Amino acid sequence: MRQHKIETREHLAEVRDSARRALLDGKPKVLVGMATCGLATGAQEVFDALCDEVRKSKLDVRIVETGCNGGCFLEPVVDVVLPGQARITYAHVEPSDAPSLIESTGDGKVYEKLAIGRIDAEPFLLEDLRKNYRRGKLAPDVKKVPPYSRVPFFRGQMHIAMRNCGFIDPSSVEEYIAKGGYAAAAKALTEMTPEQIIDEIKTSGLRGRGGGGFSTGRKWDTCRNAHVEPKYVICNADEGDPGAYMDRSIIEGDPHSIIEGMIIGSYAIGAHMGYIYVREEYPLAVKRVRLALRQAEEFGFLGKNIFGSGHDFTVRINRGAGAFVCGESTALMASLEGRVGEPRAKYIHTVESGLWSRPSCLNNVETWNNVPVVIARGAQWFSGIGTEGSKGTKVFSLVGKVKHVGLVEVPMGLTLRQVIEDIGGGIPDGGAFKAVQTGGPSGGCIPAEYLDTPVDFDRLTELGSMMGSGGMIVMDNHTCMVDIARYFLAFLKDESCGKCVPCREGTARMLDILTDICEGRGQPGDIELLGDLAAVMVDGSLCALGGSAPNPVLTTLKYFSAEYRAHIEERRCPAKVCRALITHKINPEKCTGCTLCANICPMKAISGEKKEPHEIDESKCIRCGLCVDSCRFEAIEVSEGMGQE
Amino acid sequence: MTEQKDVQFTIDGQSVRAKPGETVLSVARRHGIDIPALCHHESVSAYGACRLCVVEVFWGKRSKLVTSCIYTPYENDRVETNNERVRRTRRMILELLLARCPKVEVIRDLAREYGVDEPRFRTNGAAREGKAPPEPTRCILCGLCVRVCGEVVGQHAISYANRGMERVITTPFADQAEECVGCGACVFVCPTDALHYEDIDGQRIMKELKTTLPLLKCRVCGRPFATEKQVARIREGLNLPDELAETCPSCRGSEFRGIMEQTLGLVQSTTSQQD
Repeated sequence: MRQHKIETREHLAEVRDSARRALLDGKPKVLVGMATCGLATGAQEVFDALCDEVRKSKLDVRIVETGCNGGCFLEPVVDVVLPGQARITYAHVEPSDAPSLIESTGDGKVYEKLAIGRIDAEPFLLEDLRKNYRRGKLAPDVKKVPPYSRVPFFRGQMHIAMRNCGFIDPSSVEEYIAKGGYAAAAKALTEMTPEQIIDEIKTSGLRGRGGGGFSTGRKWDTCRNAHVEPKYVICNADEGDPGAYMDRSIIEGDPHSIIEGMIIGSYAIGAHMGYIYVREEYPLAVKRVRLALRQAEEFGFLGKNIFGSGHDFTVRINRGAGAFVCGESTALMASLEGRVGEPRAKYIHTVESGLWSRPSCLNNVETWNNVPVVIARGAQWFSGIGTEGSKGTKVFSLVGKVKHVGLVEVPMGLTLRQVIEDIGGGIPDGGAFKAVQTGGPSGGCIPAEYLDTPVDFDRLTELGSMMGSGGMIVMDNHTCMVDIARYFLAFLKDESCGKCVPCREGTARMLDILTDICEGRGQPGDIELLGDLAAVMVDGSLCALGGSAPNPVLTTLKYFSAEYRAHIEERRCPAKVCRALITHKINPEKCTGCTLCANICPMKAISGEKKEPHEIDESKCIRCGLCVDSCRFEAIEVSEGMGQE
Repeated sequence: MTEQKDVQFTIDGQSVRAKPGETVLSVARRHGIDIPALCHHESVSAYGACRLCVVEVFWGKRSKLVTSCIYTPYENDRVETNNERVRRTRRMILELLLARCPKVEVIRDLAREYGVDEPRFRTNGAAREGKAPPEPTRCILCGLCVRVCGEVVGQHAISYANRGMERVITTPFADQAEECVGCGACVFVCPTDALHYEDIDGQRIMKELKTTLPLLKCRVCGRPFATEKQVARIREGLNLPDELAETCPSCRGSEFRGIMEQTLGLVQSTTSQQD
C-alpha cells in the first residue's frame, strides 16, 4: 500500500496516535539489541532462536529488532515488555536461553537468571511524557529486578541523543513517529520562521558535537546570511576515531532523528539539498539510513513542499572510503565533490564557501540528532542541562580498561570520575587508573589528578585534551604512556593525507623518535625535539589533523615526563610494556620445573631439567610474554630495565 | 554584491594596500619583502602545502599563523612576516624538508638561511629494519607539476597517489601517461629539480613519470624539436597550418614571417574568445 504523504501537523498527530497504540499494544514484546555491537556478540543468533521459539510456542509475542541502549558490555541484550508490569533488560543472552525466556515471557514472568534491570515507563522525551507499563500492582518477581535508577551503569545517564536507541525498530518510520518524531520538523516548518529557529538553536547553547564545539546556531546564521545560492546541509557521519562509535550507534538505532534535524536545518538555512557522508565501513548504518531516507520520502518528510510549507528538501547518501582525514570538513567536501579527500585552507569558512564553493552547513550526526529535541522541548529546557559553556548531554564511547564498556550519555558537567568510576564501574581486575584519553587520537591523556574535572568543551581543552567527538579511552597502570603516544602517532601518520609538510613529515618524524624511545634508542634532547616539533605542527599545519596530532605527545610529556625520562635516561619502561626495556626472569624459588613455559616459548629461550628451576636465555628472549601467561606458579617475573647492560 | 575596494593593512609596520582578492604574499612581493615559498607559482592556483610562506596576522589581541600565498588580508590587519614565531615555524619546516631531501640545494640554502645546517631528525627508519637506506627523494610534493599540468597545459596527466609519507607524484597506474604530451612544463616548474626529461634517439624520455614520447623532426632542418603529441595538441588548439607547426623555432625564419603574423593574429583572437 502506498503511503499517503503527510502534509499537515494534524495528519502527523493522527499517524502518531495510531502508531503509538501499536507501539504500546499491551502485548508482550521482545526487543533484541541488533546494532553492530550486538550483532558482533551473536544477537542475530539470539534473534533467530527467539523467533523459532515464538513460532513453536504459538504465543502472541512480538519480536523486534532495535538499536543499542549503550550497554555494550551486556551484549547480547534483550529487553522484554511484560504487559501491565515493566520492561525487563536481560544481559548476555544466548540462543540456548530462548526457550526459557519465551516461556517465562508467555507466563508474564521474569526470566530471573539474566535480568539486570527494569524500566517502569516508556519515555517520550520529545513530549516530556512517560507512559507507565504497570497496571495495578507489580508482581514480586518483577519487583525483585532493580529499576534502572539503581543499576550503576544507567543511573546518572541521561538519554537525549540516544532517546530512541533500544526502544524503537530503526527500520520503522511509524515507531519513530510514535515517539514524537517529525513533530519538531512539522512545528519548525509550519509555525516558525527560519530566524526563529536559528534563535532557538542559538539560545539553546547547542555546540557542535563533532569535535570543534562551535556554536551550531551561529554556524547556521552565517550560512543563512551568505549571499550565494544554492546552499547545502551536510551530515558528517565519517566517524573515524579508534574506539569511538557514538555516531554509528545513533544512525543504526535512530536514523530518522538525523534526517529530521537536517530538514529543520535546511529550512532554517535555506538549503534544498543535503548530503549524509557516511563511511562504507558502517554497512548497517548505510543500510538503515538508506531505508530511512526512502521512508521519509514516501511520507513526504523529504521532497517537495514539506508539510505544505513550500520548503523542498532532498537528501543523498555518500559513502566514504574510510580516510580519517575525510572527517575534516573541507576534505569531506572535496570527497563529496568526487575529488581526493584533502583539506584546504579555511580562511573563507565553509559556511560561506564550501561544497562546490557554495555556502555549506556541516554538522555531526549527534548535532543533527539534537536539533529536533531543541525545537520540540525548547531552548530553555535544553540550556537547563549542562554547564555554563556546554549545554545538553554528550554521548561518550567509554572503552579501554574499564568494567562497563559502552556508550554513555551524560549531562555535560559530570566529572570524569563520575563517568569512569560510577557509570563505568572503574578499572577491572584490581588495576589502578592511570589516564584517560579523551577526544580520539588527536585528543590528550588526562592523568588521575584531574579526574574531578567536569566534562565540558572548554575544561577539557584547558587540560590540553579535547571533547572531540566523544571517545574516552581508559588506561590502567599496565599502560606505558610513551607507548600510547607512539600508538596514536602511528595511527595519525598513516592517516595524514600528506598534503602539508608539518603534518606529513612531522607525524612521521615524531613517530620515529617515539619508536626509538620505546625501543631503547632514546637520546638526550629527544624530549626537547619532540616539544619543538609539536609546537610547529600545532601552529603550522594546514588542517586540524596535523594541528592536533601532537596532542597525545604533548599531554603525555606534560603529565608523564618521568616516564619518558626513565625510557631515555635509564633504559627502563616503568609500566613494563616496551619490550626492549624489560627483562623476563624465572624465580627459582617458585619454579617447579613443570616445563610448560619451555614448550610454549617460540624462541626456545627457556631451558632446564624436569622438576628443576628453569632459566631464560636473555639473548634469545623476545619478551613476548607467553611464558608469563602460561606459568601456573607465577614464577616468571617481569622487571623494568634491559637486564644485561 | 558590494563593490570591492582596496584593503588597507600593514606588513612589518609598513602601511600597504591590497587589491581585491590579492594575497599577502603578492602584496609583500610588490613591496620587496621577501617571503620564502616553494609550492607557489603565479601561473597556477595557490595550494598552501609547503607552509614556508606562513606569516603572523594580528587582529587586536588575537593572532594566527596563515599561509600568505592564500590569505587575503582584511582591513587593518597587522601582518608580521619575519618575527620569532614565523621564523621558528619556517626553521622547523626546513629541518623537516632537509631530512626528507638532504641533496636538494634550494632547501639546503634556505635551511642555512634559517640556521639549520643538519636536521636533528634521525632518518634511520630503514636501518632499523635492516634495509639499505633508499636514495633520498628530491620531491617535496609541492604539487606545482600537478597544477601546471592541469591548469596551464590542461592535460591532467599526473597527480598524487597514496597518502602521508607514501604520497608520490605519479601517472595513472604509474605507467606511460596517455594524457602526457611531453611538453616539459612540469620539469620547468619543479623547484627542487625532482623531474627530468631527456631527448634520446628521437624519443623524449620522462624518467620519473615513466613516459616516453616520439619527437617530431623539423620539416626544414630535420632535427627533432618537440614531441608529436605536443605539436598535435598545439595545432589542434590554435589551428596552425602544418608547415608552421612542424617547423622548429630556429627554422621559423623570414619565409614564415607572413604565416606567423597571420597566426599570431589568430592566436590573439582565440585568446580573447577564451577570456
